[in-house]
Amino acid sequence: MFLQIISDIGATALISVILAVILVIAQRYLNDYGICKININKKREVSVKGGSTLLNSLSDQQIYLASACGGKGSCGACKCQVLTGGGPLLPTEKPLLTVKEQQDNFRLACQIKVKTDININIPESIFNIRKYKAQITEILDYTYDIKGITFKLLEPVKIDFKAGQYVQLETQPYGKVKQKTMRAYSISSKPEDTDSIQLIVRLVPEGICTTWVHKYLKVGDEVRFTGPYGDFFIRDTDADMIFIAGGSGKAPIKSILEHLQVVGTTRKMMYFFGARTEHDLYLTDEFKAFEKVFPDFQYVPVLSRCDDGSKWCARTGYIMPYLKDAIKDPKKTEAYMCGSPGMLDACQKELLALGVPQDKIYYDSFA
Amino acid sequence: MNISPFILFWAAIFTSNILLTNFLGMCSYLSVSKEMESAFGLGVAVIFVLTITCALNWLVYYYLLVPLHIVYLQYIIFIIVIAATVQLLELIIERFSPALYYTLGIFLPLITVNCAIFGVALFMIIRNYDFLQTLAYASGSGIGWLLAILMLAGIRSRIKDKLIPAGLQGAGISLIVTGIMALAFVGFSGIVNVQ
Amino acid sequence: MKQSPKEIKITARMQPGVITLSGFLGEDDRHYHEIIADDEKTLAAYGFSPEVIADRLEYFTNASFENFTGVEFIENLYQVETEVTRGKLPCPFSHAGLYRKTVTTLTNTKTGVTIRWSGLNIHLIREHHFFEGKGSTFRLEPELLIKTIF
Repeated sequence: MFLQIISDIGATALISVILAVILVIAQRYLNDYGICKININKKREVSVKGGSTLLNSLSDQQIYLASACGGKGSCGACKCQVLTGGGPLLPTEKPLLTVKEQQDNFRLACQIKVKTDININIPESIFNIRKYKAQITEILDYTYDIKGITFKLLEPVKIDFKAGQYVQLETQPYGKVKQKTMRAYSISSKPEDTDSIQLIVRLVPEGICTTWVHKYLKVGDEVRFTGPYGDFFIRDTDADMIFIAGGSGKAPIKSILEHLQVVGTTRKMMYFFGARTEHDLYLTDEFKAFEKVFPDFQYVPVLSRCDDGSKWCARTGYIMPYLKDAIKDPKKTEAYMCGSPGMLDACQKELLALGVPQDKIYYDSFA
Repeated sequence: MNISPFILFWAAIFTSNILLTNFLGMCSYLSVSKEMESAFGLGVAVIFVLTITCALNWLVYYYLLVPLHIVYLQYIIFIIVIAATVQLLELIIERFSPALYYTLGIFLPLITVNCAIFGVALFMIIRNYDFLQTLAYASGSGIGWLLAILMLAGIRSRIKDKLIPAGLQGAGISLIVTGIMALAFVGFSGIVNVQ
Repeated sequence: MKQSPKEIKITARMQPGVITLSGFLGEDDRHYHEIIADDEKTLAAYGFSPEVIADRLEYFTNASFENFTGVEFIENLYQVETEVTRGKLPCPFSHAGLYRKTVTTLTNTKTGVTIRWSGLNIHLIREHHFFEGKGSTFRLEPELLIKTIF
């Protein structure tokens, strides 16, 4: 009886094992697509082991496409142009691609698998993106809800970015938060400082990452981030420049101005800083000091609410009415804006009405 | 049982349709019958998997389970064989026919848990079919299943925009439709008896 | 009650720290299906559909969207302020796409009641009839909501 049971179990196990072995062998040989070549922007070629998703294959090569959902096909951030070798459009991609994008062969890199040689187009700036380990060396309180945090790079020890770009900070689990998340913050230090970066972070109610940054991080902590990302940086022309940014949107402008201070410029510049009250102003002396650094620069805080007796009551309300006087020649003016979509929309409308060309308005929307 | 494989094949499609007379394979039948296109893909996958796994299970049963006296373990063994075969098929199709994989591939894992597949495997044992009969019965059942899901998908696409009482929308109305379809198929059942 | 894998996943995404800091369920120990069903009953009693409420909330948010620094007065009755912060949030029900992080605060000057909602709230109400669990930071009591915004 006992032997019978044992032998029956043995027979079942044997059949299962044989099937499992067949599957493993099949997996080994059938799932082996050999080495596939990914041709990027017709310029460079990387060789990867086939069978994995395009997103993962690229990240193995240290090319990091943006991804907010981690390859689940729900955020659509990893869009890229696949010219050949992507196979037919999958049902999982359709909802996240517009008709125009589908026609232009845009695909979700997390959904398509690399099985043959493949040709893709991705923004050139992505090649600079790296994963960094860094240590906090300084935390400054700028206002009641805005902090400036300086990170010294540990590995790699250097970063190459353009003033105005941003990084994605990775939060570690804390309190009730059980998993890691990624959030984007603009770099506020100048690109000439290659061994460290500064981020300006405003505490957002209910924000997973900002709460972590404000309440949990302290000097000496190690963090991880990836970057730099974004196409918000100054264009090398001789046009006049208007900066518009409020709150933590000051970060990329700070980076840009500090960069210009190093390289020098004679361009006419004006910076409108939109804030609610006097308590929201920060780094005012530093920005006022830029007026002496540059031949033609003006720093203009605009408060929406002005307390009696404040020295900042010169300009109140909206920023829009003040743009008119700031623009000399609209065709020769570039606008750089960073802030809430509402402010950007309103200011963009005004700038267009004043004659500033659409393609000269650059913005880093909080998106 | 002495019945020609040819007759068995047609009987499996019409007179004893696995879905409409045995009501097997209902879950995927109800959930994937919203559009003709995907219903067809799933149906073809069912034919494919059903024929191959039944043939394999027949061999496993008579050349492994019977000699080893572990016939009572057929339920477990059959399921393991089905699951492994589906996995293997998925790998093979993905490798050699990407086009087929995109139409069929996503349905294959769904079928692993389809009770029609398992049901046919059990019927062929209970009814003592020989190998040829099994092949005929399995492929016929698959085609019958495809037929049933195509009919339901056709009907569902027509009643999609009609006024259906709120409580009956979705699975409710589909089951009623299936019931009426089954009644029609029962009309065939006197022609040949394979049960 | 037995839950499908999809429901388990949705419930998991509603927990604190997954999408938002405090999650979507608050101290509510009901299943999200029950929360939705109970709130639908309340709405039906007042004769409002979730779509109408979502439209109304969206109207207030859009009306105050471009006013980025101060309070907008709407219909001489409501003080509305919308604040937008960087980033977007996914839907816990795994709808494709991301929803902007806006927080709209509305005060009904007649009743003095202040309520606030996020961009995700509007989506959750319109598509899922979900007003979040009791005790959640962005829970909107349907009864109070109707009395305040209509």
